[in-house]
Amino acid sequence: MGYLRRLPRFEYLAPRSVDEACSVLAEHQGDARLFAGGTDLVLQMKRREITPRTIIGLKGVPSLSSIRAQAGGIAIGAMTTFGAIESSALVRERYDFLCETAAAIGSPEIRAVATVGGNLSGALPCADFPAPLMTLGAVIRLRSVRGERALALEDFFMEFAETAAAPDEILTEIELPVRPGFTGGAYVKFRDRHAMDMTTTGVAACVTWDRERQVVDDVKIALSVSGPVPLRVKNAEAFLRGQAFTENALEEAACLACQEAQPRTSWRARKEFRQELIMVLTKKALRQAAGKARAATDRGNA
Amino acid sequence: MKPLSPVSLKVNGEPYELSIPPWRTLLEVLREDLSLTGTKRSCQEGQCGACTVLLDGHAIYSCLFLAVEAQGKEILTIEGLARSAGALDTIQKAFVETGAVQCGFCTPGLIMATKSFLDENPAPSEEEVRRATVGHLCRCTGYFQIIEAILAAARERAAKGAAA
Repeated sequence: MGYLRRLPRFEYLAPRSVDEACSVLAEHQGDARLFAGGTDLVLQMKRREITPRTIIGLKGVPSLSSIRAQAGGIAIGAMTTFGAIESSALVRERYDFLCETAAAIGSPEIRAVATVGGNLSGALPCADFPAPLMTLGAVIRLRSVRGERALALEDFFMEFAETAAAPDEILTEIELPVRPGFTGGAYVKFRDRHAMDMTTTGVAACVTWDRERQVVDDVKIALSVSGPVPLRVKNAEAFLRGQAFTENALEEAACLACQEAQPRTSWRARKEFRQELIMVLTKKALRQAAGKARAATDRGNA
Repeated sequence: MKPLSPVSLKVNGEPYELSIPPWRTLLEVLREDLSLTGTKRSCQEGQCGACTVLLDGHAIYSCLFLAVEAQGKEILTIEGLARSAGALDTIQKAFVETGAVQCGFCTPGLIMATKSFLDENPAPSEEEVRRATVGHLCRCTGYFQIIEAILAAARERAAKGAAA
């Protein structure tokens, strides 16, 4: 980490609408960076890891920071802050563990500013929001002067800090589909301190319960800090589908998840420790998610 | 590259018309252009909480926030908390009376965070107070007196509210 200085010089542009932001970005392609909350970008700039000529600030585009109900699911604007997600009744009602995930990021001061879109677009393996959103089948919307396209969130992360967004595209919205049947989700993470710390390893799970057969109907599992990008562990998921929720099944799923992950050694943790964490946290996330799904079947409401 | 942008800031109720470069943080502008040095500069990387101010009522780290992006928002710093000279805010009084101030460097940030927190959650549990202050480092007190001060401030504010 370099010495923290003042910010390097840049030109600052503040578009007022998504259309304007798209054309400004198209004009400055290559030497401009989109600036959301800035809690990460300001640090990268102070450390001179990046020195963009132009900063395109998105805080003045109101349409990007709404949370709305949509076809049984919800759509979250990319500029929505974690604080807004944490306190959203709509998010809590439909995807409660997203509120819990948001509430465990940074501090209230960070959450008042940091955004979901920034967390995804930074494409860092330690970001907490990609994994839970991936287990919900999130679809993102990318806009540019050329038009709009939708992309499954799991196809967005290409490599460390690299996304599938073209240089002229802006992430505008994250869509979460309606959750089928009796579903529960959880995101559990390990970190050295209980607050203000980067995640060492995290696991998200979303379980749909088959009430008639008393087995896992569907499951999605995604990992943070377990490879260069946030990743789904599809062998573990495939194994669990149709299984009764036994300790043996959990153990086997956790082993499969561990085999699919590619954690590395960093100053924060050794590879072997991360593998151990993936085992423990996968089981923990699955237990919590399945517990919520089964509680929903007990209440009889989908 | 335009070196200076005209920026209108509203700080502690006072309007300021400034001409500042866009790469200046809100912390730098408060301290260096407006001489409001109650807001402290310490880690400058969003870890310590010393630079906390309120932006439209929400506590934020001013070291991570561009001053140009504070345009049109209400900024409240420690200087604006007490209504008049010599009269301390309830939260400030609680910090003094509880012994939550030693060297005092983290105090303005913690008091501003407390203001935002109690405005939202007037009757918090101790656990909630601990969670609300995770973004603040204090190297003197060991935090116990700070947590006590915040709980005392909540009680005092509730008593005042009930009396009014």
